[in-house]
Amino acid sequence: MALGVESLRVLRGGRLVLDVPSLELRERRTTAILGPNGSGKTTLLRVLAGLEPAGEGRVHLGGAAVAGPRDLAYVFQEIVFLRQSVRDNLGLGLRLRGVSREETWRRIEHAVALLGVAHLLDRRADRLSGGEARRVSLARALCLRARLVLLDEPLAGLDEQAYTQLVDELPQVLAAFDATTLLVSHRCDEALRLAEDLVVMIDGRVRAAGTTHDVVMNPRTSDVAKVLGYTVLAAGGRRVAVAAGGLQFGPGPLEFLMTVDGVVAVGDRREVTGRIDDTRVRAHAPAIGAGPAPGDRVVVSAGRVVDVV
Amino acid sequence: MLAIVLRTLIVSGAATALAVTVGVPIGYAIGRRRFRGRTPLLGAVNTGMGMPPVVVGLIVWLLLVRSGPFGDLGLIYTQTAMVIAQFLIATPIVVGFTAASIQALPSRLPDLLTVLGAGRLQTLWLLAREARLGVLAAVMAAFGAIVSEVGAAMIVGGNLERSTRVLTTAMVTETSRGEIERALGLGLVLLVLSFTVNLSLTILQQRSRS
Repeated sequence: MALGVESLRVLRGGRLVLDVPSLELRERRTTAILGPNGSGKTTLLRVLAGLEPAGEGRVHLGGAAVAGPRDLAYVFQEIVFLRQSVRDNLGLGLRLRGVSREETWRRIEHAVALLGVAHLLDRRADRLSGGEARRVSLARALCLRARLVLLDEPLAGLDEQAYTQLVDELPQVLAAFDATTLLVSHRCDEALRLAEDLVVMIDGRVRAAGTTHDVVMNPRTSDVAKVLGYTVLAAGGRRVAVAAGGLQFGPGPLEFLMTVDGVVAVGDRREVTGRIDDTRVRAHAPAIGAGPAPGDRVVVSAGRVVDVV
Repeated sequence: MLAIVLRTLIVSGAATALAVTVGVPIGYAIGRRRFRGRTPLLGAVNTGMGMPPVVVGLIVWLLLVRSGPFGDLGLIYTQTAMVIAQFLIATPIVVGFTAASIQALPSRLPDLLTVLGAGRLQTLWLLAREARLGVLAAVMAAFGAIVSEVGAAMIVGGNLERSTRVLTTAMVTETSRGEIERALGLGLVLLVLSFTVNLSLTILQQRSRS
Protein backbone atom coordinates (compact mmCIF):
# COMPACT_ATOMS: atom_id res chain seq x y z
CA MET A 1 0.00 0.00 0.00
CA ALA A 2 1.17 3.52 -0.76
CA LEU A 3 2.56 5.52 2.14
CA GLY A 4 1.60 9.17 2.43
CA VAL A 5 3.05 11.84 4.66
CA GLU A 6 1.31 15.19 5.11
CA SER A 7 2.48 18.31 6.92
CA LEU A 8 4.90 16.36 9.09
CA ARG A 9 6.91 18.53 11.48
CA VAL A 10 9.12 17.32 14.31
CA LEU A 11 10.66 19.70 16.83
CA ARG A 12 13.46 18.62 19.15
CA GLY A 13 14.51 20.98 21.92
CA GLY A 14 12.73 23.81 20.10
CA ARG A 15 14.64 23.08 16.87
CA LEU A 16 12.84 21.94 13.73
CA VAL A 17 14.52 18.64 12.79
CA LEU A 18 11.98 17.36 10.27
CA ASP A 19 9.71 19.35 8.00
CA VAL A 20 7.97 17.33 5.29
CA PRO A 21 4.93 19.14 3.87
CA SER A 22 4.05 16.26 1.56
CA LEU A 23 5.59 12.98 0.48
CA GLU A 24 4.04 10.05 -1.33
CA LEU A 25 5.79 6.69 -1.55
CA ARG A 26 4.47 4.37 -4.16
CA GLU A 27 2.97 1.03 -3.29
CA ARG A 28 5.22 -2.04 -3.27
CA ARG A 29 8.23 -0.10 -4.47
CA THR A 30 11.54 0.52 -2.80
CA THR A 31 12.27 4.15 -2.11
CA ALA A 32 15.78 5.09 -1.01
CA ILE A 33 16.37 8.09 1.23
CA LEU A 34 19.76 9.71 0.75
CA GLY A 35 21.17 12.57 2.75
CA PRO A 36 24.15 13.67 4.78
CA ASN A 37 24.43 12.90 8.51
CA GLY A 38 21.84 14.76 10.56
CA SER A 39 19.54 15.34 7.59
CA GLY A 40 16.56 13.70 9.31
CA LYS A 41 16.55 10.32 7.51
CA THR A 42 16.47 8.19 10.64
CA THR A 43 14.09 10.61 12.38
CA LEU A 44 11.66 10.21 9.49
CA LEU A 45 11.81 6.42 9.82
CA ARG A 46 11.35 6.56 13.60
CA VAL A 47 8.32 8.84 13.24
CA LEU A 48 6.82 6.53 10.61
CA ALA A 49 7.37 3.59 12.98
CA GLY A 50 5.76 5.45 15.88
CA LEU A 51 9.00 5.39 17.90
CA GLU A 52 9.10 9.16 18.00
CA PRO A 53 6.10 11.41 18.24
CA ALA A 54 5.39 13.76 15.35
CA GLY A 55 4.61 17.25 16.61
CA GLU A 56 2.25 17.80 13.71
CA GLY A 57 1.18 15.94 10.60
CA ARG A 58 -0.32 12.76 9.39
CA VAL A 59 1.06 9.47 8.11
CA HIS A 60 -1.20 7.10 6.26
CA LEU A 61 -0.77 3.72 4.63
CA GLY A 62 -3.18 3.08 1.78
CA GLY A 63 -5.37 5.95 2.94
CA ALA A 64 -5.73 4.70 6.53
CA ALA A 65 -3.61 5.66 9.54
CA VAL A 66 -0.65 3.34 10.22
CA ALA A 67 -1.99 0.85 12.78
CA GLY A 68 1.25 0.67 14.76
CA PRO A 69 3.89 -2.04 14.85
CA ARG A 70 1.64 -4.67 13.31
CA ASP A 71 1.78 -2.83 9.98
CA LEU A 72 5.53 -2.62 9.76
CA ALA A 73 8.94 -4.23 9.94
CA TYR A 74 11.99 -2.21 10.94
CA VAL A 75 15.67 -3.05 10.48
CA PHE A 76 17.78 -0.81 12.70
CA GLN A 77 21.16 0.55 11.73
CA GLU A 78 22.53 -0.85 15.00
CA ILE A 79 22.52 -4.63 15.22
CA VAL A 80 20.28 -5.61 18.11
CA PHE A 81 19.17 -9.05 19.27
CA LEU A 82 17.95 -10.70 22.43
CA ARG A 83 20.47 -13.03 24.10
CA GLN A 84 18.71 -16.01 22.57
CA SER A 85 19.10 -18.31 19.61
CA VAL A 86 18.61 -17.03 16.08
CA ARG A 87 15.47 -19.17 15.89
CA ASP A 88 13.98 -17.53 19.00
CA ASN A 89 14.89 -14.06 17.77
CA LEU A 90 13.26 -14.72 14.40
CA GLY A 91 10.13 -16.08 16.05
CA LEU A 92 9.72 -13.38 18.71
CA GLY A 93 7.90 -10.82 16.55
CA LEU A 94 5.57 -13.50 15.21
CA ARG A 95 4.83 -14.77 18.74
CA LEU A 96 4.06 -11.22 19.88
CA ARG A 97 1.73 -10.81 16.90
CA GLY A 98 -0.12 -14.03 17.68
CA VAL A 99 0.99 -16.00 14.62
CA SER A 100 0.49 -19.77 14.98
CA ARG A 101 3.48 -22.01 15.65
CA GLU A 102 3.20 -23.83 12.30
CA GLU A 103 2.98 -20.56 10.35
CA THR A 104 5.89 -19.13 12.36
CA TRP A 105 8.08 -22.07 11.45
CA ARG A 106 7.03 -21.86 7.78
CA ARG A 107 7.96 -18.18 7.61
CA ILE A 108 11.26 -18.69 9.43
CA GLU A 109 12.21 -21.52 7.06
CA HIS A 110 11.46 -19.36 4.04
CA ALA A 111 13.35 -16.33 5.40
CA VAL A 112 16.49 -18.19 6.48
CA ALA A 113 16.63 -20.03 3.16
CA LEU A 114 16.44 -16.77 1.22
CA LEU A 115 19.07 -15.04 3.35
CA GLY A 116 21.32 -18.12 3.52
CA VAL A 117 21.33 -18.34 7.32
CA ALA A 118 19.56 -21.67 7.90
CA HIS A 119 22.76 -23.08 9.42
CA LEU A 120 22.72 -20.37 12.11
CA LEU A 121 19.29 -21.15 13.57
CA ASP A 122 20.63 -22.70 16.78
CA ARG A 123 23.46 -20.18 17.29
CA ARG A 124 23.22 -17.35 19.83
CA ALA A 125 22.10 -14.30 17.84
CA ASP A 126 24.17 -11.86 19.90
CA ARG A 127 27.35 -13.73 19.01
CA LEU A 128 27.06 -13.62 15.21
CA SER A 129 29.58 -11.90 12.96
CA GLY A 130 28.61 -8.57 11.39
CA GLY A 131 27.63 -10.09 8.05
CA GLU A 132 25.64 -12.92 9.65
CA ALA A 133 23.88 -10.48 11.98
CA ARG A 134 22.87 -8.24 9.07
CA ARG A 135 21.39 -11.23 7.26
CA VAL A 136 19.50 -12.41 10.35
CA SER A 137 18.16 -8.86 10.92
CA LEU A 138 16.77 -8.86 7.39
CA ALA A 139 15.36 -12.37 7.88
CA ARG A 140 13.61 -11.22 11.07
CA ALA A 141 11.98 -8.36 9.18
CA LEU A 142 11.04 -10.66 6.30
CA CYS A 143 9.27 -13.10 8.64
CA LEU A 144 6.84 -10.39 9.72
CA ARG A 145 5.29 -10.02 6.23
CA ALA A 146 4.57 -6.36 6.93
CA ARG A 147 2.93 -3.91 4.54
CA LEU A 148 5.55 -1.26 5.30
CA VAL A 149 9.25 -2.11 5.62
CA LEU A 150 11.71 0.40 7.04
CA LEU A 151 15.41 -0.35 6.49
CA ASP A 152 17.86 2.00 8.21
CA GLU A 153 21.23 1.45 6.53
CA PRO A 154 20.83 -2.34 6.56
CA LEU A 155 24.33 -2.85 5.14
CA ALA A 156 26.18 -0.50 7.48
CA GLY A 157 29.45 -1.62 9.00
CA LEU A 158 30.12 -4.54 6.64
CA ASP A 159 33.55 -5.19 5.19
CA GLU A 160 33.86 -4.84 1.42
CA GLN A 161 33.50 -8.56 0.70
CA ALA A 162 30.42 -9.05 2.91
CA TYR A 163 28.93 -5.82 1.55
CA THR A 164 29.37 -6.82 -2.09
CA GLN A 165 27.88 -10.24 -1.43
CA LEU A 166 24.82 -8.96 0.43
CA VAL A 167 24.15 -6.01 -1.87
CA ASP A 168 24.06 -8.48 -4.76
CA GLU A 169 21.38 -10.52 -2.98
CA LEU A 170 19.36 -7.60 -1.66
CA PRO A 171 17.17 -7.02 -4.75
CA GLN A 172 15.83 -10.56 -4.32
CA VAL A 173 15.18 -9.91 -0.62
CA LEU A 174 13.41 -6.63 -1.37
CA ALA A 175 11.24 -8.42 -3.91
CA ALA A 176 10.37 -11.02 -1.27
CA PHE A 177 9.24 -8.28 1.13
CA ASP A 178 6.59 -7.40 -1.46
CA ALA A 179 5.90 -4.24 0.55
CA THR A 180 6.23 -0.50 0.41
CA THR A 181 9.87 -0.26 1.44
CA LEU A 182 11.91 2.69 2.65
CA LEU A 183 15.68 2.26 2.53
CA VAL A 184 17.92 4.77 4.27
CA SER A 185 21.36 4.87 2.74
CA HIS A 186 24.28 7.22 2.41
CA ARG A 187 25.61 5.60 -0.77
CA CYS A 188 24.29 6.79 -4.08
CA ASP A 189 25.43 3.62 -5.87
CA GLU A 190 23.45 1.53 -3.35
CA ALA A 191 20.31 3.59 -3.98
CA LEU A 192 20.75 3.35 -7.74
CA ARG A 193 21.06 -0.39 -7.52
CA LEU A 194 18.31 -1.15 -5.03
CA ALA A 195 15.61 1.50 -5.25
CA GLU A 196 13.11 2.42 -7.92
CA ASP A 197 12.42 5.80 -6.29
CA LEU A 198 14.69 8.22 -4.51
CA VAL A 199 14.24 10.96 -1.93
CA VAL A 200 17.09 13.34 -1.08
CA MET A 201 16.90 14.95 2.36
CA ILE A 202 18.98 17.87 3.60
CA ASP A 203 18.51 19.66 6.94
CA GLY A 204 15.27 17.82 7.71
CA ARG A 205 13.64 18.75 4.42
CA VAL A 206 12.93 16.78 1.25
CA ARG A 207 15.02 18.47 -1.43
CA ALA A 208 14.38 16.07 -4.31
CA ALA A 209 11.99 13.18 -4.90
CA GLY A 210 11.10 11.07 -7.90
CA THR A 211 12.24 7.99 -9.72
CA THR A 212 15.86 7.17 -8.94
CA HIS A 213 16.88 7.73 -12.58
CA ASP A 214 15.23 11.17 -12.77
CA VAL A 215 16.66 12.41 -9.48
CA VAL A 216 20.17 11.16 -10.22
CA MET A 217 20.26 12.42 -13.80
CA ASN A 218 18.76 15.81 -12.98
CA PRO A 219 20.03 17.11 -9.68
CA ARG A 220 18.34 20.48 -9.65
CA THR A 221 20.49 22.13 -7.04
CA SER A 222 24.18 21.92 -6.23
CA ASP A 223 23.58 20.61 -2.67
CA VAL A 224 21.42 17.76 -4.04
CA ALA A 225 24.15 17.07 -6.61
CA LYS A 226 26.73 16.86 -3.82
CA VAL A 227 24.60 14.35 -1.90
CA LEU A 228 24.37 12.30 -5.09
CA GLY A 229 28.15 12.18 -5.36
CA TYR A 230 28.73 14.83 -7.97
CA THR A 231 31.45 17.39 -7.72
CA VAL A 232 30.19 20.92 -8.11
CA LEU A 233 32.46 23.09 -10.27
CA ALA A 234 32.21 26.64 -11.43
CA ALA A 235 32.19 27.15 -15.21
CA GLY A 236 31.31 30.24 -17.17
CA GLY A 237 30.38 31.99 -13.92
CA ARG A 238 27.83 29.28 -13.09
CA ARG A 239 27.91 26.29 -10.80
CA VAL A 240 27.68 22.96 -12.57
CA ALA A 241 27.60 19.42 -11.18
CA VAL A 242 30.13 17.09 -12.75
CA ALA A 243 30.08 13.33 -12.22
CA ALA A 244 33.29 11.31 -12.05
CA GLY A 245 32.53 10.12 -15.58
CA GLY A 246 32.79 13.66 -16.91
CA LEU A 247 29.03 14.01 -17.43
CA GLN A 248 27.84 17.46 -16.60
CA PHE A 249 24.56 18.64 -15.16
CA GLY A 250 23.15 22.04 -14.53
CA PRO A 251 22.41 24.86 -16.94
CA GLY A 252 23.62 24.54 -20.54
CA PRO A 253 26.39 22.54 -22.26
CA LEU A 254 29.37 24.20 -20.58
CA GLU A 255 32.97 23.51 -21.43
CA PHE A 256 35.75 22.65 -18.99
CA LEU A 257 39.49 22.57 -19.41
CA MET A 258 40.93 19.18 -18.44
CA THR A 259 44.57 18.16 -18.01
CA VAL A 260 44.98 14.64 -19.41
CA ASP A 261 46.98 12.07 -17.47
CA GLY A 262 45.91 8.85 -19.16
CA VAL A 263 44.47 7.58 -22.45
CA VAL A 264 43.23 4.03 -23.03
CA ALA A 265 41.68 2.66 -26.22
CA VAL A 266 38.31 1.00 -25.54
CA GLY A 267 36.64 -0.42 -28.64
CA ASP A 268 35.93 2.36 -31.11
CA ARG A 269 36.81 5.17 -28.71
CA ARG A 270 39.41 6.40 -26.27
CA GLU A 271 38.89 6.70 -22.55
CA VAL A 272 40.59 9.86 -21.34
CA THR A 273 41.27 10.40 -17.67
CA GLY A 274 42.49 13.57 -16.07
CA ARG A 275 41.66 16.49 -13.80
CA ILE A 276 39.36 19.46 -13.98
CA ASP A 277 40.65 21.76 -11.24
CA ASP A 278 41.24 19.22 -8.45
CA THR A 279 38.50 16.86 -9.53
CA ARG A 280 39.43 13.58 -11.17
CA VAL A 281 37.17 12.89 -14.16
CA ARG A 282 36.88 10.56 -17.10
CA ALA A 283 35.74 11.51 -20.57
CA HIS A 284 35.74 9.87 -23.94
CA ALA A 285 37.06 10.80 -27.34
CA PRO A 286 36.73 9.16 -30.80
CA ALA A 287 39.49 6.67 -31.68
CA ILE A 288 40.12 8.29 -35.06
CA GLY A 289 42.93 10.80 -35.49
CA ALA A 290 45.86 11.51 -33.20
CA GLY A 291 43.68 12.30 -30.15
CA PRO A 292 44.83 13.64 -26.83
CA ALA A 293 47.97 12.39 -25.09
CA PRO A 294 49.02 12.54 -21.42
CA GLY A 295 50.02 16.08 -20.51
CA ASP A 296 47.67 17.68 -23.09
CA ARG A 297 45.02 20.18 -22.07
CA VAL A 298 41.67 19.36 -23.63
CA VAL A 299 38.23 20.92 -23.64
CA VAL A 300 35.53 18.63 -22.22
CA SER A 301 31.79 19.08 -22.50
CA ALA A 302 29.11 16.65 -21.36
CA GLY A 303 31.67 13.90 -20.90
CA ARG A 304 33.23 14.23 -24.32
CA VAL A 305 36.59 15.67 -25.36
CA VAL A 306 35.61 18.32 -27.90
CA ASP A 307 38.97 19.95 -28.52
CA VAL A 308 42.65 19.64 -27.76
CA VAL A 309 44.13 22.96 -26.72
CA MET B 1 24.03 -24.47 66.24
CA LEU B 2 21.41 -25.69 63.74
CA ALA B 3 18.88 -23.23 65.17
CA ILE B 4 21.35 -20.38 64.67
CA VAL B 5 22.03 -21.44 61.08
CA LEU B 6 18.30 -21.69 60.33
CA ARG B 7 17.67 -18.30 61.97
CA THR B 8 20.46 -16.74 59.89
CA LEU B 9 18.97 -18.18 56.70
CA ILE B 10 15.43 -17.06 57.59
CA VAL B 11 16.39 -13.49 58.55
CA SER B 12 18.81 -12.84 55.69
CA GLY B 13 16.69 -14.79 53.19
CA ALA B 14 13.55 -12.77 54.04
CA ALA B 15 15.46 -9.48 53.89
CA THR B 16 16.94 -10.44 50.47
CA ALA B 17 13.53 -11.48 49.11
CA LEU B 18 11.99 -8.19 50.22
CA ALA B 19 14.91 -6.18 48.83
CA VAL B 20 14.58 -7.94 45.44
CA THR B 21 10.79 -7.36 45.37
CA VAL B 22 11.22 -3.65 46.00
CA GLY B 23 14.67 -3.05 44.48
CA VAL B 24 14.33 -4.68 41.05
CA PRO B 25 11.40 -2.49 39.85
CA ILE B 26 13.12 0.64 41.23
CA GLY B 27 16.41 -0.35 39.59
CA TYR B 28 14.57 -1.04 36.34
CA ALA B 29 12.92 2.41 36.43
CA ILE B 30 16.22 4.17 37.16
CA GLY B 31 18.05 2.21 34.48
CA ARG B 32 15.42 2.63 31.81
CA ARG B 33 13.77 6.00 32.31
CA ARG B 34 15.08 9.55 32.14
CA PHE B 35 13.46 11.82 34.71
CA ARG B 36 14.29 14.89 36.74
CA GLY B 37 16.36 14.01 39.79
CA ARG B 38 17.55 10.70 38.33
CA THR B 39 21.25 11.46 38.75
CA PRO B 40 21.00 12.53 42.43
CA LEU B 41 18.85 9.44 43.05
CA LEU B 42 21.47 7.22 41.43
CA GLY B 43 24.10 8.97 43.54
CA ALA B 44 22.07 8.25 46.68
CA VAL B 45 21.69 4.60 45.67
CA ASN B 46 25.42 4.27 45.07
CA THR B 47 26.09 5.86 48.47
CA GLY B 48 23.59 3.45 50.02
CA MET B 49 25.47 0.52 48.50
CA GLY B 50 28.43 1.40 50.69
CA MET B 51 26.46 2.38 53.78
CA PRO B 52 28.03 0.91 56.95
CA PRO B 53 25.57 -1.65 58.41
CA VAL B 54 26.21 -0.33 61.90
CA VAL B 55 24.87 3.10 60.86
CA VAL B 56 21.73 1.49 59.41
CA GLY B 57 21.38 -0.53 62.62
CA LEU B 58 21.62 2.60 64.72
CA ILE B 59 18.97 4.43 62.65
CA VAL B 60 16.58 1.46 62.82
CA TRP B 61 17.24 1.12 66.57
CA LEU B 62 16.39 4.82 67.07
CA LEU B 63 13.13 4.30 65.16
CA LEU B 64 12.08 1.05 66.87
CA VAL B 65 13.34 1.51 70.43
CA ARG B 66 10.52 1.75 73.03
CA SER B 67 10.82 5.55 73.26
CA GLY B 68 11.19 5.98 69.46
CA PRO B 69 8.48 6.91 66.93
CA PHE B 70 7.65 3.24 66.22
CA GLY B 71 8.36 1.95 69.73
CA ASP B 72 4.73 0.99 70.29
CA LEU B 73 5.03 -1.71 67.64
CA GLY B 74 7.27 -3.66 69.99
CA LEU B 75 9.61 -4.74 67.22
CA ILE B 76 12.95 -3.92 68.81
CA TYR B 77 15.11 -6.99 69.56
CA THR B 78 13.02 -9.21 67.28
CA GLN B 79 13.81 -11.00 64.05
CA THR B 80 11.45 -8.55 62.29
CA ALA B 81 13.67 -5.66 63.37
CA MET B 82 16.68 -7.53 61.98
CA VAL B 83 14.86 -8.14 58.67
CA ILE B 84 14.00 -4.42 58.44
CA ALA B 85 17.61 -3.37 59.04
CA GLN B 86 19.02 -5.92 56.61
CA PHE B 87 16.37 -4.98 54.04
CA LEU B 88 17.59 -1.37 54.22
CA ILE B 89 21.18 -2.52 53.73
CA ALA B 90 20.33 -4.86 50.81
CA THR B 91 17.90 -2.68 48.84
CA PRO B 92 20.41 -0.09 47.53
CA ILE B 93 22.64 -2.97 46.41
CA VAL B 94 19.78 -4.59 44.48
CA VAL B 95 18.71 -1.24 43.00
CA GLY B 96 22.27 -0.32 41.97
CA PHE B 97 23.07 -3.68 40.35
CA THR B 98 19.70 -3.83 38.56
CA ALA B 99 19.97 -0.25 37.23
CA ALA B 100 23.49 -0.96 35.95
CA SER B 101 22.43 -4.18 34.22
CA ILE B 102 19.42 -2.50 32.58
CA GLN B 103 21.62 0.38 31.42
CA ALA B 104 24.08 -2.10 29.93
CA LEU B 105 21.45 -3.50 27.55
CA PRO B 106 21.65 -2.33 23.91
CA SER B 107 20.02 1.11 23.72
CA ARG B 108 17.87 0.10 20.75
CA LEU B 109 16.47 -3.02 22.46
CA PRO B 110 13.30 -1.33 23.78
CA ASP B 111 12.66 0.14 20.31
CA LEU B 112 13.15 -3.28 18.74
CA LEU B 113 10.64 -4.86 21.10
CA THR B 114 8.15 -2.06 20.37
CA VAL B 115 8.36 -2.49 16.59
CA LEU B 116 8.13 -6.26 16.94
CA GLY B 117 4.78 -5.69 18.61
CA ALA B 118 5.50 -6.01 22.35
CA GLY B 119 3.16 -4.12 24.69
CA ARG B 120 4.41 -2.17 27.70
CA LEU B 121 4.30 -5.14 30.12
CA GLN B 122 5.78 -7.54 27.58
CA THR B 123 8.64 -5.07 26.98
CA LEU B 124 9.25 -4.81 30.73
CA TRP B 125 9.32 -8.59 31.13
CA LEU B 126 11.59 -9.17 28.12
CA LEU B 127 14.05 -6.48 29.24
CA ALA B 128 14.15 -7.90 32.78
CA ARG B 129 14.86 -11.32 31.29
CA GLU B 130 17.68 -9.88 29.21
CA ALA B 131 19.17 -8.31 32.34
CA ARG B 132 18.82 -11.50 34.41
CA LEU B 133 22.58 -11.99 34.79
CA GLY B 134 22.82 -8.63 36.49
CA VAL B 135 19.71 -9.23 38.59
CA LEU B 136 21.11 -12.56 39.84
CA ALA B 137 24.38 -10.80 40.64
CA ALA B 138 22.31 -8.28 42.63
CA VAL B 139 20.71 -11.12 44.65
CA MET B 140 24.13 -12.66 45.37
CA ALA B 141 25.71 -9.35 46.37
CA ALA B 142 22.76 -8.41 48.59
CA PHE B 143 22.61 -11.78 50.36
CA GLY B 144 26.38 -11.83 50.77
CA ALA B 145 26.38 -8.36 52.30
CA ILE B 146 23.67 -8.99 54.89
CA VAL B 147 24.47 -12.56 55.88
CA SER B 148 27.95 -11.44 56.85
CA GLU B 149 27.10 -8.16 58.60
CA VAL B 150 27.19 -8.00 62.37
CA GLY B 151 26.61 -4.37 63.39
CA ALA B 152 22.95 -3.95 62.50
CA ALA B 153 22.01 -7.46 63.62
CA MET B 154 23.63 -6.86 66.98
CA ILE B 155 22.09 -3.39 67.57
CA VAL B 156 18.49 -4.07 66.53
CA GLY B 157 18.41 -7.81 67.36
CA GLY B 158 20.16 -7.59 70.67
CA ASN B 159 21.86 -10.99 70.14
CA LEU B 160 19.25 -12.78 72.32
CA GLU B 161 20.28 -16.42 72.59
CA ARG B 162 17.03 -18.14 71.67
CA SER B 163 15.45 -15.59 69.34
CA THR B 164 17.80 -13.17 67.57
CA ARG B 165 21.27 -14.71 67.71
CA VAL B 166 22.59 -15.34 64.19
CA LEU B 167 25.93 -16.70 63.01
CA THR B 168 27.79 -13.37 63.02
CA THR B 169 26.55 -12.20 66.43
CA ALA B 170 27.16 -15.68 67.85
CA MET B 171 30.78 -15.42 66.67
CA VAL B 172 31.16 -12.12 68.52
CA THR B 173 29.75 -13.67 71.69
CA GLU B 174 31.99 -16.75 71.52
CA THR B 175 35.08 -14.60 70.83
CA SER B 176 34.33 -12.35 73.81
CA ARG B 177 33.96 -15.47 75.96
CA GLY B 178 37.36 -16.66 74.80
CA GLU B 179 35.81 -19.63 72.95
CA ILE B 180 37.99 -19.06 69.89
CA GLU B 181 37.58 -22.59 68.49
CA ARG B 182 33.78 -22.30 68.66
CA ALA B 183 33.96 -18.86 67.02
CA LEU B 184 36.14 -20.28 64.24
CA GLY B 185 33.67 -23.16 63.76
CA LEU B 186 30.79 -20.70 63.40
CA GLY B 187 32.88 -18.70 60.94
CA LEU B 188 33.47 -21.84 58.87
CA VAL B 189 29.73 -22.61 58.88
CA LEU B 190 29.01 -19.03 57.76
CA LEU B 191 31.51 -19.38 54.93
CA VAL B 192 30.03 -22.71 53.81
CA LEU B 193 26.50 -21.27 53.99
CA SER B 194 27.46 -18.20 52.00
CA PHE B 195 29.38 -20.32 49.46
CA THR B 196 26.46 -22.76 49.02
CA VAL B 197 23.90 -20.02 48.39
CA ASN B 198 26.20 -18.14 46.02
CA LEU B 199 27.22 -21.30 44.18
CA SER B 200 23.55 -22.18 43.57
CA LEU B 201 22.86 -18.69 42.22
CA THR B 202 26.05 -18.74 40.13
CA ILE B 203 25.04 -22.06 38.54
CA LEU B 204 21.63 -20.56 37.74
CA GLN B 205 23.30 -17.44 36.35
CA GLN B 206 25.77 -19.29 34.16
CA ARG B 207 23.11 -21.68 32.89
CA SER B 208 21.00 -18.75 31.73
CA ARG B 209 24.10 -17.17 30.16
CA SER B 210 24.82 -20.18 27.97
